[in-house]
Amino acid sequence: MVPDPRTPAGAGRFRRLNEPRPAAVEATPRGAPKAVLWRGTYQHVAAIHDTWRIDDEWWRDEIARRYFVIELDSGRHVTLYHDLVNDAWYAQEYANPKESAQKKRA
Amino acid sequence: MEAACLFVADFPVAIARRDKPSLKGRPVIIGGSPEEHAQVTACSAEAAAAGVTVGTTLRRALALCPGAVFLPLQESAIAAESERLTGLLELYSPIIEVIAPGHMHFDVHGLARMTGMNDWPYLRDLQAAAAAASGLTVQLAAAETVFAAHAAAVTIFDPPHEANQPRPRAKLPAENPVLVSPGQTRAFLSELPVEVLPVSPLLHVRLRLFGLERLGQVADLPFSAIQAQFGREGARAWELANGKDDAVITARRDELRINEELELPAPTALSEPLLVGTRMLLQRALSRPAIRGQVLRRLDWRLGLENGEQITRRAVFREPTSDPARMLIVLTGKIERLQLPSPAIALGITLSGLCSEYGHQSNLWPTGPRRQRELLDAIAQLNAREGTPQVYRIVEVQPWSRIPERQLALVAFDG
Repeated sequence: MVPDPRTPAGAGRFRRLNEPRPAAVEATPRGAPKAVLWRGTYQHVAAIHDTWRIDDEWWRDEIARRYFVIELDSGRHVTLYHDLVNDAWYAQEYANPKESAQKKRA
Repeated sequence: MEAACLFVADFPVAIARRDKPSLKGRPVIIGGSPEEHAQVTACSAEAAAAGVTVGTTLRRALALCPGAVFLPLQESAIAAESERLTGLLELYSPIIEVIAPGHMHFDVHGLARMTGMNDWPYLRDLQAAAAAASGLTVQLAAAETVFAAHAAAVTIFDPPHEANQPRPRAKLPAENPVLVSPGQTRAFLSELPVEVLPVSPLLHVRLRLFGLERLGQVADLPFSAIQAQFGREGARAWELANGKDDAVITARRDELRINEELELPAPTALSEPLLVGTRMLLQRALSRPAIRGQVLRRLDWRLGLENGEQITRRAVFREPTSDPARMLIVLTGKIERLQLPSPAIALGITLSGLCSEYGHQSNLWPTGPRRQRELLDAIAQLNAREGTPQVYRIVEVQPWSRIPERQLALVAFDG
């Protein structure tokens, strides 16, 4: 028998972290972000520092994302992705699983 | 001449040999007796020739050099001797930098002219004074740059050796000072071995592996080639080999010491009068304007006995203080434990290690299990008031996932 932990159960006890937040993005015809609505104003993308693509779980709810690490005119760095399935843009922090595991080991 | 270097080779060994002349010519190893789990702190040239180096374990040193004389490291004697040499140099130069015990760099710009002497006689007088005052063989050199003076002092009397042999540590005693003439620095350095460069031992080895044994060989190579092969250290080595040295001598800062002495009204062997006298000395010393608003780290306590002996005790405070009561608490135990062979007649203290006062930040919660319990109680109270969990911990859910929102999650904190 598993003893009763006497702790309250419920959905409130578990929360997802780093959920993608919808972002308003103006993109170029080639699909790269050109301007981002950031805190009420559109800011131009000064530079794209990195980009990569994730394609996964095509056998159930397909995930296809194209990530961009951009720098806004204000100097702020933001990670965005373009959801290629729904054609929507999101902002989300991204930590490479391998790199974060290596950092933890170091 | 701008800079000078005074150097006593194998300083602890030199002191031991001065105090005990029978050690001359015999291998001497400083660090303790061979059965101790300690390392060699210094060794004579004879021991070095047998393979002993600083850092070798004493047992290994005994195996390498069975005939050596093992001596304990007398740090206080070495420090006192080095201080004596520095004090002597202070009579000659206002800017002295102590590199190590028995090794000083000092500024000599214009000093010879001030005394109406030429450079070389000035150096010779200085060397003779240092040798007479210390009873040690002192090597002295002066040059346009600090590195050239240093290199001259530590190696000039090193006899030439075969290129394919390891560099001997032995240095012949300098009988005369060395003066590197202005404009001759590069030419003078060119014959010196690469080991004189203040770079890592690994670079010394690498330079030799490339066939670069003398500074002249390093200086003749293009700067870009040296920098490309050996990096920043190589660039520094090239500059030094070419006589380019922008190093300056940093004068030591004199430490402020507060001394107070007291003659006891009557000889005593009891601890109570000594404590009363110490309290009086502390109050007197701490009321000095020179240390107002500052705190101290160190207190040296001295007791002069009727038979001429002196007993000293040192207290180093974990937290700097200017509170005489706290200082006395630290000293009380030491004074009460004293077994005096003769009545005390005089007391003295020296306060040193001055620093600025600083505040102390206490912990938000007391440390230990009590802190954890209070933290859990506070979280439980917060959750009960709001009705839902308010404090979460981050846990890894799928750390291997490429989808960021699946890697971590927040779980209610239960303690």
